[in-house]
Amino acid sequence: MTTTLTGSASVGNAIMRFGFLIVFLAFFVLFAAWNPVFLQGGNLSNIIEGSAVLMIVALGMTLIVATGGIDLSVGIALDFGAAFAVVAMKSYGMDWFGAMCAGLIGGSVVGIFNSVLVVGLGISPFLATLSTFFIGSSVQRIFTNGGGPISHRRMPEEFRNLALGDIYGIPTEAVVAFGLTVIYFLILERSIWGRRIHAMGMQRSAAIVAGIRVNRILITCYVVVGVTCAVGGLIAAANIRMFTPLSGFSYLLDAIAAVFIGAALHPRGRPNVPGTVLGVLFLGMVANGLNLMGLNFNTKDALQGIILVSALALAVAQQKMRRS
Amino acid sequence: MPGDAFSLAGIVKTFPGVHALDGASLSIRPGEIHGLVGENGAGKSTIIKILAGVYRPDQGTVSINAEPVPSLTPTFVHKAGVRFIHQELHLVPHFTVTESVFMGQELTGRLGLAKRDMRKKAEAFLRNILGIDLPGNLLVRDLGTAERKLVQIARALIDGKAKTVVFDEPTAPLASDEVETVMKAINALKAEGIAILYVSHYLSEVTDICDRVTVFRQGKTVGVFDQIDADSSGDLIYAMVGRNLTDMFPQKDRKSRGIGLEVSGFGDGERFEGVSLKIQRGQILGIAGLIGSGREELVEALYGLRSAKSGSMRIEGEVTRIRNAAQAVRAGLVLVPRDRRNAGLVLPMTVSENVTLAILERNSRFSLEDRNAARKTAAEQIGALDIRPPNPDAVTRFLSGGNQQKVVLARWLAKTARVFIFDEPTLGVDIGAKAEIYRLIENLARDGAAVIVSSSDPVELVGICDRIAIMMRGRMAGELSATDLTVDGLVAATTGAADVGTLADAVA
Amino acid sequence: MPSHSSASVRFSPNLTGYIPLTIFLGVLVYISLNAPNFVTMRNLELVLMQSLPVVLVCAGLAAVVMAGGDDVVSGGIDLSIPATAVLSAGVTAQMLTAGWPLALCSAAALAACLVVGAVNALLVTRMGMTPLLATLAMFVAVVGVNNVITESRRINVDHTWIVALRSQDVVGVPLGITLTAAIVTLIFFLLHLTRFGLGLQAVGGSRDAAETSGLNVSRLFAMSFVVAALTGFLCGFFLLARGAGSSPGVQDNLMLEMVLATFVGAAFSPRRVVTLWGAVLGAVLVTAISIGFKSMGVNVFWTGLIKGSLIVVVVALAAVSNRVR
Repeated sequence: MTTTLTGSASVGNAIMRFGFLIVFLAFFVLFAAWNPVFLQGGNLSNIIEGSAVLMIVALGMTLIVATGGIDLSVGIALDFGAAFAVVAMKSYGMDWFGAMCAGLIGGSVVGIFNSVLVVGLGISPFLATLSTFFIGSSVQRIFTNGGGPISHRRMPEEFRNLALGDIYGIPTEAVVAFGLTVIYFLILERSIWGRRIHAMGMQRSAAIVAGIRVNRILITCYVVVGVTCAVGGLIAAANIRMFTPLSGFSYLLDAIAAVFIGAALHPRGRPNVPGTVLGVLFLGMVANGLNLMGLNFNTKDALQGIILVSALALAVAQQKMRRS
Repeated sequence: MPGDAFSLAGIVKTFPGVHALDGASLSIRPGEIHGLVGENGAGKSTIIKILAGVYRPDQGTVSINAEPVPSLTPTFVHKAGVRFIHQELHLVPHFTVTESVFMGQELTGRLGLAKRDMRKKAEAFLRNILGIDLPGNLLVRDLGTAERKLVQIARALIDGKAKTVVFDEPTAPLASDEVETVMKAINALKAEGIAILYVSHYLSEVTDICDRVTVFRQGKTVGVFDQIDADSSGDLIYAMVGRNLTDMFPQKDRKSRGIGLEVSGFGDGERFEGVSLKIQRGQILGIAGLIGSGREELVEALYGLRSAKSGSMRIEGEVTRIRNAAQAVRAGLVLVPRDRRNAGLVLPMTVSENVTLAILERNSRFSLEDRNAARKTAAEQIGALDIRPPNPDAVTRFLSGGNQQKVVLARWLAKTARVFIFDEPTLGVDIGAKAEIYRLIENLARDGAAVIVSSSDPVELVGICDRIAIMMRGRMAGELSATDLTVDGLVAATTGAADVGTLADAVA
Repeated sequence: MPSHSSASVRFSPNLTGYIPLTIFLGVLVYISLNAPNFVTMRNLELVLMQSLPVVLVCAGLAAVVMAGGDDVVSGGIDLSIPATAVLSAGVTAQMLTAGWPLALCSAAALAACLVVGAVNALLVTRMGMTPLLATLAMFVAVVGVNNVITESRRINVDHTWIVALRSQDVVGVPLGITLTAAIVTLIFFLLHLTRFGLGLQAVGGSRDAAETSGLNVSRLFAMSFVVAALTGFLCGFFLLARGAGSSPGVQDNLMLEMVLATFVGAAFSPRRVVTLWGAVLGAVLVTAISIGFKSMGVNVFWTGLIKGSLIVVVVALAAVSNRVR
């Protein structure tokens, strides 16, 4: 959150400004009161660890939304990342490093395909990435003969450590997600590229006239996002020692939600990295907290959906009030 | 006042911190065209909104058709026969003419909509009252701007209950040859006995069409002129700004300092071809031409927004190829576009962000931006160009038209470009800001830049340019020295009423 | 980029406008040459029957897009319609098995669907959420609620009316097709031949224009979500009839098909705007192509690839032929 509290803010004003934060804390307290396990260090780090892959995908989504588009194929890039890496190890006997490179290449293939559609053919990002989604899903089905997982039990230790290892006691996946978050923050919020990306996202024609090479930026962004999501795929594959086709889809809606919760928290409604982090943590916390409440699966799912709608509505309403 | 269609007297309206209106009055008679002029911020739009029932005045009396009314609401005003023709066209591109005219007031028959009936009525109204033949099934997106304006007018008047019509800058989006079509229609309405309030920045139009004119300054009515003719504009300007503006246009004693930009055989293979131009450093070259003359397309092609199929370009003697705007900017050729709200500025960004958008590298280290340095650069430009409010963090959307234009200019000044192209630099800018923008353009030339001004305003071109190139039907018809050229002479040349070659001889 | 349409050029729909449709028909001709059974009355009937649920939700989506403008991200879109349809099916099925009369079941389903439509409308017009976001979130929430209702189980329904929707013929035409045709015609009447419909289109075409014409913009836009929810409600019964029961997981596929068909349908119209007929035609043709490739013996795993490529080809061609014009 980049809002600053001015001296004369009344209580109502504060609620308006920090409405979402208050709800965030309210849920936190509620979950903690319901089940003390929630507050235990192990569980809190579970939330963070469990949110790592979503965080990575949501970062990519933030970048694309900042360019004024949307990417429905982030899940495909994730799947491709996992598939390329697993196949590289299993069928080509590559070591962990080669496998990771292969995975990243897999993600970039998706990114390149998207940028051909969006920049080369001039298709709107929504429809372009939707067709990438269709095509990518189909390719996975064809390749796996209908969608069966490809498991690789004898995965190199180094690769598995991506999900299971730790660096100075901190889980590797959390470190990777944190590192990517910092990089994305610097690019999008602090660098001159970020300024150009935001400018073209807000008013493309003005960015063109100002001499910004929007096509070059768009192509780069889609490829970068493809690679980023592939990192998520690597972690997911390392975690379960297999590639499960079409598993990336489950991150799509949460990633979009996190980005827009984050954008709504920004004083001028821009998609931004800190906001996305907050959105991801909120979603992760709610999922975890509901789990600990011991509800049945369906009820938990429904509650999660309803909380998602309410949180988004609140964040957007809060932004609207702040603007007027 | 008996006989007035509408009269507002002693109106006071304040907003937090602003006296928008401070004792303004305005009355319009049936069958007259009444002009309302004033600088931006003089209170014109506030009084229109009061008239529309959107704002409620703090003080003052309002009477409609000579009867005092306690308070105005939008519905009441509409019932009283007051109609508004807003500056924006507000039409749906894929609607037909008929659908647009009857939008929100469709006629119904026994079986749903009375489509044929509506079409007949719309066509008849357009033909008989507004004097234009438009098939009712034509789509709005296929109409010219003037035709769209007439459709908009027809929509306001089709129910036949209009007694007063308020035109807010009706000619702002129009090319000079389209203005006449709309003027004719407005005169026809006057002949029907309708009272017309005509709000415009274009004084020549006001003196041309209006019977009486009210002048606002700083929220007050400072004069009502009952006798209006072509020579009134000086008096109007004096009343509007409170001082004489004889120095509206800067002096022209500029010297050329070598060739800045040279284009030859330029063409886009579609809208213009064979265009050759030479612009001296330190001078201002005007480009005149009607809509469809290829003038707009030429500007786009010079800047790389449209691909040039033939021809070559040199900047300060160096052969330069420009295929996109980014290359143009790098070559030191910059554009201040006509559509500043969409193409000129990123409106949701701050002034500082807009000013530094083309010089991001300068205020950065390892590609990370130094925001304080950027803000400082912006503050310097804000000071130099007197941008208001003088706040680098102000959101550009909320600046006035003139100040927005200065922000665009500030960006390119910060970039230190060599060739400046201005496309309609004063479109929608009030008269005070206009003079300022002219001075800034003039300063650019004095500092040694080569400047191109493409404009549909002949007064502007004759006023500030050294030479004026005239485009006609996709070709360069010729070039005139602006030193002794009259506005009439330029209009004659652009409309083809006079031969450019003969004019050039006469001027020389 | 500053581009200004010149006053003198008037556009008349010419042949380039129909290139995407031609390609589609070309693919169908290719299929019918290679799969001899494709062009039989029985098969065409099958195609139509298969497409009915998609046709209905597409009609609803068309209404929302017409009212909200066709920019996918910031304009009008309702991704929650398939979830509404599933909810309608779930509520009806659950209550039918509990022994309630059909009339009461459908009334309850209708009420549930209208609540979804109203919440959508509220989120968009009151809270100011972008429709894409609001309806996507609603999709998730409604599916979640429906899973609670049905406990994520497949419920079989053998009510005579629901079965009739699948297998009853009226004068040689299946009842389902006749009903859907009637519903679509009704929606057409509503959208194109009433003041309400024109108002809706005006709001989508230019919000400012609608406002200055005195139309109640947010109410009209809100109403379009209610119309969409109604089509979702109706679609629910066709889902029940098709699967002879409510089954979980239908909504994801239906959503993708809906978006695909509606926007491909826009490419069919010479002016490249989303229209009711375009959406309906899109729904039928997309189904036809799916079934066609299947009857040619193409592996089902390829369907997604073919559909994705179709969007690319059709939408890219639409973009290109617009640019050429």
